[in-house]
Amino acid sequence: MGASFDIGYVFSFLPKLLDTLGVTLLIVAGSLLTGIVAGFLVALPRMYKIPVLRALSGVYLSFFRGTPILIQLFLFYYGLPELLKPLGFDLSRAPVMLFVILAYGLHTGAYAAEMIRASVEAVDRGQVEAAYAAGMTPYQALSRIVLPQALGIAVPVFSNLVIALLKDTSLAFTLGVMEMTGKAQTLGTLTQHFVETYIALALIYLVISFTLEKVLLAAERRLNRHEAREERVVRRFALGKRGSYRAALADIETGKGGGI
Amino acid sequence: MIELKNISKSFWRHEVLRNINLNVETGEVVVILGPSGSGKTTLLRCVNYLEKPAGGEIAVGDFRMDCARAKRGDVLRLRRKTAMVFQQYNLFRHKTALENVMEALLVVKKLPPKEARGRSVSLLEKVGLGDKLDAYPSRLSGGQQQRVGIARALALEPEVILFDEPTSALDPELVGEVLEVIRNIAREGITMIVVTHEMGFARDVANRVVFMDGGVVVEEGTPDEVFQRPREERTKQFLRRITPEANYSI
Repeated sequence: MGASFDIGYVFSFLPKLLDTLGVTLLIVAGSLLTGIVAGFLVALPRMYKIPVLRALSGVYLSFFRGTPILIQLFLFYYGLPELLKPLGFDLSRAPVMLFVILAYGLHTGAYAAEMIRASVEAVDRGQVEAAYAAGMTPYQALSRIVLPQALGIAVPVFSNLVIALLKDTSLAFTLGVMEMTGKAQTLGTLTQHFVETYIALALIYLVISFTLEKVLLAAERRLNRHEAREERVVRRFALGKRGSYRAALADIETGKGGGI
Repeated sequence: MIELKNISKSFWRHEVLRNINLNVETGEVVVILGPSGSGKTTLLRCVNYLEKPAGGEIAVGDFRMDCARAKRGDVLRLRRKTAMVFQQYNLFRHKTALENVMEALLVVKKLPPKEARGRSVSLLEKVGLGDKLDAYPSRLSGGQQQRVGIARALALEPEVILFDEPTSALDPELVGEVLEVIRNIAREGITMIVVTHEMGFARDVANRVVFMDGGVVVEEGTPDEVFQRPREERTKQFLRRITPEANYSI
């Protein structure tokens, strides 16, 4: 069961774990970038109802939202090289990180796609008509009227998405990536102070999540500064009126935020 | 001058507009009346192609377009000759009153920012909102928002301004200020097509009243002709329903 508990280890493990923070953040950043690009590519056919691509997007979404991220990691790491071998690509020497970022990126893409679609559709259609009536092109209406507002609407969902991604990266150790959780495993095994390593690990995740949340909340406030404050209060009351706190929670906790 | 020729439109199997013909002279104010579902708003939205007519011809100024064969460029040209004021105002919510008016001047007309700003400020002053330049729509009353909407339409210097029930979403006490602004710009000789339920306004401001029902123009004429001496039974019925007090003065 390991050595007896010693709080001192928590503090000595912190810097050691933080050494690998860079790897974790690299996975997060790389996946976010991949995910947002993938998200747009998947969301556009759904928003503009392009026949065949729309169906493909649906399949993509079902797969990445309907299977566990752990399985997706394994499928990418073990399956992709097999799949590409007959086509003449040799991935046996490709870095693990590539598979990890690809898997997390496409996973995030599924949630990002729904975030993008829901946010764009939440911007009132009348404003698009006003833009068209004034002679703007569809691109001008999208870039100048819809997207700036959709951005503000998307931030809370995006915040959930980033935090979920950060926590999900802890599974990358299963493929042998030495990110924070992988490092924690090693430290635990070496010293037999498992509980202390995981406390230290949890603290780091908590601090990063908390900071991200606050930063994104500030961004949301700024992006939505055109909406009167009174309205926000009204909305909060409306949430309370739903009845039970469970109903209110059900509204807020949309998993990774994409499941609208 | 605006000319609508044989405009038709169906939603699914339901024919909303049946071969409508309508001419509007430069400087004329035409009010379209009719019961709900008569197609008056659809007709108005066909003029700037927010609704795509199934067939017919639209001419605005020197630009003429066959609806069945309209290309994207044609639609854009048509829209750049018209402007619209919406029932729900449809202001850009992330932009201030001033930015709302400036937006199309910068993006569509490509005016230099200084000129766009100058023109927008004077228009907002004209509609009585000189002190609200930097207010976001969420900070403005319905009446104020609609006046920004009118300034936004005026800024484009269109051949015609289309008003789609501009006062229907307003609280009763705010209707007056908006009608006053519309009345003032009507006096300046700006061509307007107005869909409204405000009979007093129609009588007062319109050069011509068009009564629609069931997707056709039932009757048209001066306000006096249509309101005092309607020829068609359907017009009489509609007027009886909508202005009962006019028949029973105490």
